[in-house]
Amino acid sequence: MPATSVSANTAAPTRSPWTAIFLAWLVPGSGHFLLGRRGRAAIIFVTVLIPFILGLLMRGPMFHPTGAGDVLSRAIQWGGLLADLANGLPYFLATWFGYAPPDVATHTCDYGSKLLVAAGLLNILAIVDAYEIATGQKD
Amino acid sequence: MHLSLSHLQVSLLFALVASIILGLVTKRTDQARVRYGLYCFGCFLLALFGISWFMRLLHG
Repeated sequence: MPATSVSANTAAPTRSPWTAIFLAWLVPGSGHFLLGRRGRAAIIFVTVLIPFILGLLMRGPMFHPTGAGDVLSRAIQWGGLLADLANGLPYFLATWFGYAPPDVATHTCDYGSKLLVAAGLLNILAIVDAYEIATGQKD
Repeated sequence: MHLSLSHLQVSLLFALVASIILGLVTKRTDQARVRYGLYCFGCFLLALFGISWFMRLLHG
């Protein structure tokens, strides 16, 4: 029985890996959904959205690099922006709906900002996984 | 609505979601995924409480 399920899961991919990557970035879990891994897609969708939504509720600010500061500060700012962008559509929806809390020095806002970044980084792991499934490197 | 979570709550939340994703993307069978997710969660908890107690003892 396990041998049957493994061979069924390792069937040749029928979707472009670039489509899977784009969808996985745009909506967390949708890359897996496209590739027929619906259970994993649902888990990724929930697992990425929960920290993102909690980050919003904690009024965590998004990163906006200004170009000012030393090299380390700029690396943190640009890295944070990339991680925020990795959330895909939730990030753009939040910003389009006017989410722009001030960057105040409170622990709650700081934790919120870190949760937004963590959600994006987790989605990057999911994007890589979707790419590997789409290219047949894993089931 | 403004949510306020403590450092411990945020740390536990991060440990949980990171463990789920790590288990999901690194292993090939459902059993291995669950096992590895639990292992990662345990490691996160160990690091969280270990480092916390280390800092507590360091500062006195």
